[in-house]
This record gives sequence, structure tokens and C-alpha cells, in this order.
Amino acid sequence: MAESTLDARQDARPTAGHVTLERVNTPPAQTWNYLRANDITLTVPVHSRKGDVFFALPRLFEGVECGMGPTVTAWAESQAKDAHYVEVKAGEKRKEPIAAQEDTGVMVRAGAEATIVICTQPDGPVQDTTAALVRVIAERGARVHLLEFVCGGSDQRLDSVGIVADEDARIDVRQFFLGAGTTAAGLAVALDGNRARLDLTCRYLGREQDILDINHVVRQRGRNTHCDVRESGVLDGHAKKSLRATIDLVHGSSGSEGAELENVLILSDDVTNKTMPVILCDEDDVAGNHGASIGSVGPEQIQYLRDRGLSMQEAEGLYVRALFDEALICAPTPQTRAAVLARATDVLGSEVANDLVDGLGLRDAEEV
Amino acid sequence: MSERTEKRTQVADVDRSLYDFTYSEEGYERYEDGLTPDIVRAISEKKDEPQWMLEMRLAALDTYHAKEMAPNWGPSIAGLDMDHISTYVSPRTKQAKSWEDVPDDIKNTFERLGIPEAERESLAGVGAQYDSEIVYHNMREEVAKDGVVYTTIEDALHDPQWEPVVHEYFGTLIPPADHKFAALHYAVWSGGSFVYVPAGVTVEYPLQSYFRLNAEGAGQFEHTLIIVEEGADLHFIEGCSAPKYYEANLHAGAVELFVKDGARLRYSTIENWSKNMYNLNTKRARVGADAKMEWVSGSFGSHVSYLYPTTILQGARSSCEFSGITFAGATQDLDTGCKVILNGPHTTASMDTKSISKDGGCNTFRSSVVIGRRAEGARATVSCQSLMLDDISRSDTIPAMDVRNATASVGHEATIGRISDDTVLYLMSRGCTEAEARTMVVGGFANPVSKELPLEYAVEMNNLIKLEMEGAIG
Repeated sequence: MAESTLDARQDARPTAGHVTLERVNTPPAQTWNYLRANDITLTVPVHSRKGDVFFALPRLFEGVECGMGPTVTAWAESQAKDAHYVEVKAGEKRKEPIAAQEDTGVMVRAGAEATIVICTQPDGPVQDTTAALVRVIAERGARVHLLEFVCGGSDQRLDSVGIVADEDARIDVRQFFLGAGTTAAGLAVALDGNRARLDLTCRYLGREQDILDINHVVRQRGRNTHCDVRESGVLDGHAKKSLRATIDLVHGSSGSEGAELENVLILSDDVTNKTMPVILCDEDDVAGNHGASIGSVGPEQIQYLRDRGLSMQEAEGLYVRALFDEALICAPTPQTRAAVLARATDVLGSEVANDLVDGLGLRDAEEV
Repeated sequence: MSERTEKRTQVADVDRSLYDFTYSEEGYERYEDGLTPDIVRAISEKKDEPQWMLEMRLAALDTYHAKEMAPNWGPSIAGLDMDHISTYVSPRTKQAKSWEDVPDDIKNTFERLGIPEAERESLAGVGAQYDSEIVYHNMREEVAKDGVVYTTIEDALHDPQWEPVVHEYFGTLIPPADHKFAALHYAVWSGGSFVYVPAGVTVEYPLQSYFRLNAEGAGQFEHTLIIVEEGADLHFIEGCSAPKYYEANLHAGAVELFVKDGARLRYSTIENWSKNMYNLNTKRARVGADAKMEWVSGSFGSHVSYLYPTTILQGARSSCEFSGITFAGATQDLDTGCKVILNGPHTTASMDTKSISKDGGCNTFRSSVVIGRRAEGARATVSCQSLMLDDISRSDTIPAMDVRNATASVGHEATIGRISDDTVLYLMSRGCTEAEARTMVVGGFANPVSKELPLEYAVEMNNLIKLEMEGAIG
């Protein structure tokens, strides 16, 4: 799978230098600036594009809001070697996952179903920056499964995704941010059509000096739309994580429901965890709720596990292992499974990674 | 005219008669509009202040001019033009210790607001500010005998015993550089209260300050400084109102609260500014070990509000409770909430807020919970419930949490919704009109906050809700 590679070192084109992208991952409504939770600033490489022909997605995709914001969209478009347009015909149930590349637009026509995969490649030399810009239009009754795996392979990873859902379209998103270094990811979903639905699950791991910056924006415009956003993760070492999750119940979205919940497990006193769950409500006939729970493993739970012979480290390791377990279960292709396993080996060691393979019965099915 | 229309008109009249009455400013001292060093010097000179205060004012003025407003913040205050705001308006009267000595028009104002009656019945002391100056201040003798000091900042500055105390604390919790309107406040502050409760003293009855802004196109910039010494206990009530004008008024007060080890302070506010008011107030408390800070806040008025009382839980095992309700109606855009910084080990904070939006009113709830690295075992919970009464109003919830300690625990929950048709139908089937049913539900929604207030203020708050609600139906 030719994964997204806005790669400064392997790219044959000369690097003209770096550029600073400011106000990245900005949510629609902001909090106090002194909390430094409103956005992230990123420095990214810029390749010379002199003499290149720019290929672009159909203009229809310009109207798709992407989670990381217009600055990243403009940078990613300008740096992508190509723009990939994929169309899933009306009524088609496409089995083969679509591998999203550096700038990808997917049109899922009415009643069609498609799986889109974004995955980093941890193999090979560690790159400076990689990125993916993925825009999806789901027509009436379409069903889209978006799977996102960030498993290392670069010092800095940018994933910016935008999805527009028409009437009765159903969007399932599963995100696994497991990678080292800096991961900045934005997802914007517009539930424009009546009864459109989003189910978003996001799992993350931050350890050592990792920086994780996530922006989720759900705009509920259609009537009777539904969104359910669940984020959870484990933070250890000196990891710094910011999560902004916005549910925007736009005027006219009567009968809609939006829910968001985050659970954060903190394993180290040196962690910085910033959470900003936002509900914007411009309609009375709606139900919006969000919740967040941030803390460590309770002493009773730790004691329970200790009584069964597990050390504190092993007990906490179970939570990390569970993340990889779930990522492996969701990984739809040998390449994505290999990427998750490579990262699991880095984090948990080869013995545990082998356990994961055996536990899921993957060893016989494919060489991993 | 239909019965329903008559009802609405009557409610509007009642509302005005309660708060929207004015008296002439004739004979008042009013400084020219705008902000200049000369105006700042004139205010300082009039108050015969120490040199350090004048220097602080002038430095704050520079800060005000230098500071920019954040471009990504809250409701617009574009309608606020400081060139058309007078920062000092004062009736030509001296501060009185008896209501009989207060000029009739001002006395009538406070009588209509029920302040002297409340003082007689349930307060340990009262301060009443009219525009820029305190016009009445009094405290029960037995409270004074315990060593409690309740006076104006100006009087404290002229008292050799208290001037060093004011100097030590004033502007330390809310520094002038905190934000643009904090700087403005320190440049032109006038009036407010200084309260000192000695160690171990429990003030049985609340102290109350009431702020009335009568002048059109004017600002009120009172400063409240309260020091509750170790093991002491105080309930302080703040009330505010103003008549409605079509010209912008500004309230940019500051409240600095020092709650020492083992002390407890409850700070209650019923704010019913008129709907031409920009209420850009700053309140902050620092809490010592084993001490407790309690906020009870009801916000009903203002055109635009920026109001986020902040608590710094510095001492070990200190705690904070915040109960607040905000009611935004037509033409109102109220950006309110609270902030808590948990620095000490085993500190706890609990925030419970409610907001009601109707008739196109906008409510924004913001909170921030910051748990520092040394806050071992800290616990914080935030609950925010918002009620939408129609489809032209708006309600946003913007909490933020910054956690830097593995043993801390933070919980947050928020819900936004409307009164269900089933509930209204149920109550109507038992003889309520729709208006009564909705008022009943809103009253129940606000009850957790109103029950935290002394009875007479809970009644006032419930009356405000009824008035707002009755005008909303039909």
C-alpha cells in the first residue's frame, strides 16, 4: 500500500526549507489563550514545486471542511505529489479497502459502501514528516468506514480528514494513534443530511516525549442526525496530549442527538493532559451531552490485580496492551496489521507482540 | 387586547418598576467621557490617595492602552466605546452611617430595592454604592467589637492601621496586567469594600454590598478586597442593578478574596444589571490550607457579560464549591463560567452550573480546571446543564481541563436540552397553563442554586425567573 508520504528525506524533489503552520487544529469555539489549548503550531518541510503540474481533486471537495484547518489543507495540497480521486459507484459494496494517500478524495455514491484506510509505515528509516489529507463525500444512504492507524515511522505525523454525510449516510470512524513523536490529527464530519449518523471511536497512546494533538469537529446540520464520539487513551512518561472535541448542533438540526465522552488514564506525574469537550447549541429540540473522566488506576483496582500476581507495571501494561489488541482486531489488511504489530513490538516487546498475534490467530492466516 | 397580551405588558411594567427607574443627575459631579491621565489623576486627587496608588493607576492606564483584546474571545464588545463612557460620576453627598442622612432620591432608590429592610432583618452590615461612590456604610456594633472591619477601600487607605494592609494585598491577586479590563479597572477604580475578619471570628450574619449604577453612559469600577484570617468565617453578599438606557454602560469591577488557612468564605452574587450594560467583572480568590471558598452566583442582567470567578486552591486540603445560574433573554449574550486552579495536595473543587436561554438570548459557559504537578490526590468535578426554551436562542459549553498529576481525578459532564413536551403536557393536564408549567420546570431547574442563597435573595432570584418566564410565553 502506497501510504501517505509527504516525506522530506526520501522525496527526490529538493526541500526548499521549512514553514511554520500556525493555528492548526483550531476548534470552532476557543478557550482561554493562556491555557495553550486552542491550537498547535507545527513546523513542516516545504518542497520546491517549481515546474510541476499540480493535480487537484474535483472542485466539489473544496467545500469539505477538514479537521486540521485550511492552513494544513493548503500546505498538504501544495506538497502532495498527486491527488487521488476514488469514486465508489451507487449501490456498490466495495470490499477492497481504499488506501488513502497524501491527498485523497473519495466519493461514495448513494447507497454504496466503502472502507478507507489511513496508515503510516513504521518500517524503514524514520522520516521527518508524513501527512495525509483525506476528504470524503458520502451521498444519500452511503456507508463509510474510515480506519486510521498512526504507528510511527516519522518524527511528525499530520492527518487531516473531512467527511460530508448526506441523508441517511452512516459514518464509522476508528482512530488509533499509537505512534511516537508528534501526532497531529484533525477530523471534521458534517452531518448535513437528515438522519445522517457518525460513530467515532478514538484510541490513543502517548509515552516518553510524545506529543498528541487531536481535533474532532462534528457539525450536525440535518434533522434527526446522531453522533456518538468516544475517545480514550493512556498517557505515560512525559507525553503531552491535547484533545478538542466539538459537537456543533446547528440551527435547523431539530431532533438531533450528540454525545461525546473521553476517558484518560494517566500513568505518570510528568504527563500533561489537556481536554476540551465543547457543545455548541443553536437549536432547542436537540439533546447534547459530553463527559470526561481523567485520572489514574484506582488503588482498589491495582490491589485486585496485585493479588493475582501482577506488578504495578504489569497491571498498567494491560491497559496499553488492550489498545494494541483492539487496533489489531480492527486492522483490515496485512499491511495495517503489520504496522500495528511493528509498533506493538517497539512499545511492549516482541514477546507480548507475539502473544497478540497468537491470541488473534493471525500467525496461520498470514506471515506477520 | 387579549388576556395573554395584557399579561405580557404587565410583566414588562413590573420589571421596569423594580429596577428600571432613574433619578436626575442634576448637581452630580461627572468627569468628562474618555480615558486620559488627567482624568486618572483627578480621581486620585479627589480621593486624596497615597502616591503609590496614583502611580499604580497611571501604570495601569498605560497597560490598558497597550493591551489588545484577544481576537478569538466571546461575544462582541464592539458597542463599548470608552470615549463615550464617563469613568467617574458621583452624587454630591458624603458617605452616611444612617439612612436618614442619605439624600432622598438615593435613599428612595435603595428602599425600592429593599436594602434598608434587609439590613434591619438579616445583615451584619451594609455598603451601598451609587454610581462611583459609596453613599452609605454601616455595620452592627457587636460585629465591630469582634474586630471585624467593613469599610470602603478609600477609608481604609486613610487609616494608618489599614493602609499598609491594603498596600500589601491590593492588586496582587488580580494584577493590572491580567487583562485589558483589569488594567482599566485599576486606572479608574472607585468605591467598593474592604473587609477584614480577624482570626477565629465567625460573622453570624452576612455582610452585603449593593451597587447601583444610575448614570447614563457611565462606568462603575468598584474594588472589593476581603481578607478572612485563619479559622474565620464570613458570608458576603453582592447585589447589583441599574436602570435601562439606550447608551452603553460599563461595569468593570474587581473582587480580590484572601481566604487564609482553615477559614471559610461564601461569596454570593445576584446580578441584575440592565440590558445595556457591559459587565466585564473580574473575581478571584486564593484559598489557604484546609480553607473553603464557596461561590453562589446568579446572573440575570447585562447586555454582554464576561464573568469567570477564579479560585486558586493553594493550600493543602483546601476546597471550592461553585454554584451558578445564568439567565439570558432577548439582546443578551452572557459569557460566564468559572476557573479553578488546584495547586495544593488533596484539594477538591466542585462546580455546578446551570444556564437558561430564551427569546434569542445567548449563553456561553466556560470553565477551566487546572491541576498542578504537586496537587497529589486532587479531585475536581464540573457539571453544566443548559436549558433552551426556544429555537432562536443559543447555548454553548466550552470547558477546558489541564491535568498534570497522575493521582488527580477530574470529572466533567454537560447536557443541553429543552423542556420536554411530555413534561409540559403532564403539568397542563393537572391544571397548569403552559406558562405556569414551563415556569415551574425552570424554577425546579434553578432550585439547586437558589437554595444556596439566604431566603430573601432566593425569593428575589425566583421572582426574577418568574418575571422573565412570564414574559416569554405567548
